[in-house]
Amino acid sequence: MSCNAAVTSLLNGQAASGLRAEAGTEVMSYRDALHWTMRDALQRHYSVLIMGQGVDDHKGIFGSTTGLAQEFGADRVMDMPLAEEGMTGVAIGAALNGLYPIQTHIRADFSLLAMNQIINLAAKYKYMFGGRFDVPMLIRMIVGRSWGQGAQHSQSLQSLFAHIPGLRVVMPSSSQSILDTYPAVIDRYRGPVISFEHRLMYDLQFYVAPLSPGQEIDPFGSRLVRPGEEVTIVATSIMVLEAMRAAEHLARVADIQCEVIDLHCVSSPDWDLVMHSVEKTGRLVVADTSWREYGVCAEVCRVVAERNPGCLKAPVVTLGMQPAPCPTAKCLEDLFYPDLRQLVGVLATLVTGNEIHGLPLPDTQSMADVYKRFKGPF
Amino acid sequence: MEYSQQFCELFFQALRIRLVEERIIELYPSDSIQSPVHLSIGQEAVAVGACRDLRETDLVFCTYRSHAYYLAKGGSLAEMFAELYGKVTGCARGKAGSMHLAAPEVGLMGASAVVASTIPHAVGAALAAKRLGNDQVVVGVFGDGATEEGVYHESLNFAVLHRLPVVFLCENNGLAVHSSQKARQGYDLLEHARSYGLSVCHIAEGYDFVKVADTMSDIIQRVRLTREPVFVEIRTYRYKEHVGPGEDFMCGYRQQEEWLAWKRQDPLEQYGDLAETIRPAIMKEIEEAVHFAMSSPFPSVEELLRDVV
Ligand SMILES: Cc1ncc(C[n+]2csc(CCOP(=O)(O)OP(=O)(O)O)c2C)c(N)n1
Ligand SMILES: [Mg+2]
Repeated sequence: MSCNAAVTSLLNGQAASGLRAEAGTEVMSYRDALHWTMRDALQRHYSVLIMGQGVDDHKGIFGSTTGLAQEFGADRVMDMPLAEEGMTGVAIGAALNGLYPIQTHIRADFSLLAMNQIINLAAKYKYMFGGRFDVPMLIRMIVGRSWGQGAQHSQSLQSLFAHIPGLRVVMPSSSQSILDTYPAVIDRYRGPVISFEHRLMYDLQFYVAPLSPGQEIDPFGSRLVRPGEEVTIVATSIMVLEAMRAAEHLARVADIQCEVIDLHCVSSPDWDLVMHSVEKTGRLVVADTSWREYGVCAEVCRVVAERNPGCLKAPVVTLGMQPAPCPTAKCLEDLFYPDLRQLVGVLATLVTGNEIHGLPLPDTQSMADVYKRFKGPF
Repeated sequence: MEYSQQFCELFFQALRIRLVEERIIELYPSDSIQSPVHLSIGQEAVAVGACRDLRETDLVFCTYRSHAYYLAKGGSLAEMFAELYGKVTGCARGKAGSMHLAAPEVGLMGASAVVASTIPHAVGAALAAKRLGNDQVVVGVFGDGATEEGVYHESLNFAVLHRLPVVFLCENNGLAVHSSQKARQGYDLLEHARSYGLSVCHIAEGYDFVKVADTMSDIIQRVRLTREPVFVEIRTYRYKEHVGPGEDFMCGYRQQEEWLAWKRQDPLEQYGDLAETIRPAIMKEIEEAVHFAMSSPFPSVEELLRDVV
């Protein structure tokens, strides 16, 4: 499948978040959805403050904040010193005293310098003081991938944060998902939220549907994005798109119907939705953007094992990154991440109950090539 | 025109780094280098000056902008190109790309892509040198932006507290990505380092490799003898965009005039005749290195999980 074909199939509305998006008519890129929500937040809430390294420069966090410093002023869209821990503390202080900070990390990896403030302070402030404080803030973290980003510029750290009570962790998988999540979080939720945005999705176009008046979407739920009978795929972030491509392939070549669930809020997924689906299909594949060990894959298995392990007709299959730091050589990087062919392969094996399933697999092609002809990281 | 031998040697080293990076720029559109590159063009004199009088046993820790230090410290050019090409013959077997070069055999102890993260490593290596009682000097290289990170301050304190043989070498190009130093820092770098009790040194002419080398020579000697930390700030100028092979003066965050003024002082720009006489030898070496990289194999499947634990 060529890059364009992939994007066109996404444009068919299938892969956009939620069934609702099929009704969508407007096309919006992930980047534009981010920009729209950032601008909307600044416009509607005087308390919103965007803070991060380079938020005011001409590249504006991959285009998600460009022009906003000029429009709203440098005191509302603030460039930050290279001081992740300190500046997270500053954001917490500002949140405690009436602002709504939106912090950016152009790579999720840099948030590791702010772990103390995020985990020991932001996550605990409410509980530790008996509910007397709120720390309303959104931390946007971008997961880099491909073009030799390597060990320190590509990590997908959702499970590290989702492990911690007090933090909400979301992973928007489409433009619609951003439009559904960010404004709702900023308007209504009073705690710290961490969002993992996937760099490979920034250039993708999705159909979006505006909310109808009065309609409220739970920004922290999970989403059923494709109904099916034979196997459940629980996926996160860009793996939702891969799951959709795999599901379409299997529907086309073998009339196998996969049910796809976008876990979306990995810190508090809609487990009833997941269990209902697994109980229906009896088969489960979990596809996450990160390592499987102690992560989202492991967590989904825990819940199924605790709630109703008897509903499984076959062992669960999990897909994630290989248990190594990310290498830079492209040939190794392509092995490091799961690909579509692999995903289709495990689904076919699971559904047919036979490793020699005889179903045609899609060509091997690195996901980075499919989603983006990526030249350089910034 | 007659040039002194020491001028010629430093000129050669600096020109070699520039030509290597210019070759990277030429090769980049071919997509054979699939790695972000942070080029040192404009800043070569700092690296060659700082490394001239370091011994192979002296250690350097540096940043993602690592090509210049890797080469100035004596890392293999062929292995560097192989690494950029993602080949198993690269200095990190294809797992580093441009941002994490290392050549421990000559004391280049690794480059990290997380700003400021190797500064404490330099301090720790100096602690080891002290405990082991050798005469090593350790150099921690970082940018002006890195001084905003907490770990920088923690490192200065510890080095002074324990009197460790480390040179804190700040390459001040006045920029962190697109942010100017004054938009980020409310302190004066030298005053600040001095307030920790460090002796400090400032070199404004970061293009002048002879001046950098001579000043650094004194400092290295002093640290080798006194085993006391020193802070050095060297002003320099990045000619290319923060990351990537292009220029970015049209983006509006800095003025092209600054660049032109800097180039007027840059010996690599000013002594074209000398450059032309040396160039063929360097180009030959570069082409051999590129050929080595191109003809080397990619890492095999087994490499993926090799060296994890
Ligand atoms: C902890 C951390 N925060 C942010 C970044 C993104 N980043 C990469 S380079 C850079 C600028 C660093 O500036 P400076 O230390 O002056 O070095 P220079 O690039 O100018 O050589 C930034 C902010 C990073 N790599 N690591
Ligand atoms: Mg700098």
